[in-house]
Amino acid sequence: MMHLLAPIRLLAQVAEEPAAAEPDGIQLLLPATAELIAGLLAFAIIFFFVWKWVLPVVDKRLEARQQAITGQLVAAENIKLEAESLLTDYKRQVAGARDEANRIVDEARRTAESLRGETVTRANAEAADIVRKARDEAAGEKERAAGAIRTEVAALSMAVAEKAVAGAVDTKAHQKLVDQYIAELGALRP
Amino acid sequence: MILASEECDTAKEIICAPSNVVELFEYKHAVFSIGPLDFTRTVILIFLAMILVVGALYFAFRKPKIVPGKFGVVMESLVSFVREDVAKGTIGPDGSKYAPYLLAMFLFILVGNLFELTPFINFPLTSRMAIPLMLSVFTYLIFVGVGFSKNGMSYLWGIIWPKSVPVGLRWLVGLIEFVSYFLLRPITLAVRLFANLVAGHLMLTLLLGSGWLFFASVGDIGLRALIGLPWFAFGLLIFVFEFVVAVLQAYIFTLLSAVYIQTSVHPEH
Amino acid sequence: MEEIKGAIALIGYGLAAVGPGIGIGIVVGNAIQAMARQPEAATVARTTMFLGIAFTEALALIGFVLFFIA
Repeated sequence: MMHLLAPIRLLAQVAEEPAAAEPDGIQLLLPATAELIAGLLAFAIIFFFVWKWVLPVVDKRLEARQQAITGQLVAAENIKLEAESLLTDYKRQVAGARDEANRIVDEARRTAESLRGETVTRANAEAADIVRKARDEAAGEKERAAGAIRTEVAALSMAVAEKAVAGAVDTKAHQKLVDQYIAELGALRP
Repeated sequence: MILASEECDTAKEIICAPSNVVELFEYKHAVFSIGPLDFTRTVILIFLAMILVVGALYFAFRKPKIVPGKFGVVMESLVSFVREDVAKGTIGPDGSKYAPYLLAMFLFILVGNLFELTPFINFPLTSRMAIPLMLSVFTYLIFVGVGFSKNGMSYLWGIIWPKSVPVGLRWLVGLIEFVSYFLLRPITLAVRLFANLVAGHLMLTLLLGSGWLFFASVGDIGLRALIGLPWFAFGLLIFVFEFVVAVLQAYIFTLLSAVYIQTSVHPEH
Repeated sequence: MEEIKGAIALIGYGLAAVGPGIGIGIVVGNAIQAMARQPEAATVARTTMFLGIAFTEALALIGFVLFFIA
């Protein structure tokens, strides 16, 4: 214990001279002069330090903090407003873009529609054309074939008639027979 | 912590008490002297407390920071507690005028009280009558001065001739009030702090000291060590309790000062 | 004679502490009741409680001083 408390004991030596009078309890209640002076001095220093320096500094700090908070709030408000305006802007833009897209799609659909109609008409016309041409051609062919057959038949009948005339048939009867035949042939025409 | 048993020799199986309780609190030996002022241990501790208070405040508030550090937050909440809760909360809107006094007093007493529990110091400054008496005299001067300067002589008449009391009893109540205002208030304010810290110091010295004494004499009688440990544990319990007392007494001293000033500012209440 | 005087002072302090002990108990108990009933008035109740304790405690403190003086 002695060595543990040695540093304290250096400061805390009890008075070595024996007290002249028996120490009384009331001594505890009476302030020692040296301590009173020291306490006054120390308290005065603390008081003036607190009064002249600490409280103004604290005030300044609180004020600065309040200002900073106010400034931040205002900045936040501004940012919020800006964001809101940006948002409406974007919304408007998005709505415009949607309209534009709709319009484009519509237009494309209309174009496609018209293109389709045109194509169909043209195709129909072409088909009709082709059909007509084919029919014409076929008709021409038939006529030509009919002409050829008629000539052939005439020639054949002439030959037959010559043979018959060479026998007993006069020219008149012969002509009549030919005409009848041709008429019959004509009924064959399409 | 056991400065009292200085002369005790544990090897000799003598458990000695100080011849007088005053010896526990009084340091007569001057370490050095400047002029008439003897720097005894107590005086040095008083200046140490002052340096600690001023240093802590300076350290906490030296930079004009907007967001304080941990220590800054603690000191700031202390300052705002004394100023807002104690000064303005008790005295009213004009309480901030007294805030420097109350704050300086609170911090000085707090550090002085906590010296009781600080290792290698272990001595509450406020257990010397000088500090509580000085502060209580200041409070006394302030509240009497404020009472007279704010209300004139009606302050005194309001105390010794209270209108709210029936006429027959007025002189008695007035006498009691007078004694209570002008005699008991300053005395009890000082003695409350002083007595609490004296009792705390005595208790700690007794418990930890005797625990240590018992424990140190383990070589002689083993039983003593067995007794010493519970003593020591009990002392540590009291140690925690004394921390609460130290803070609470600083608060109560400051609060009562504020209340006394308030009764002078608004004597009707 | 000296020892007897000291012992009597001790008894006197003990007696002086009885009344304030009861009184402080009553003060704090009622203050806690008030705080529990009206928590919004807790600050006023606390201040008044400390004031009441201070006045009650004064008697015990006088006893304490007298113990040292005797």
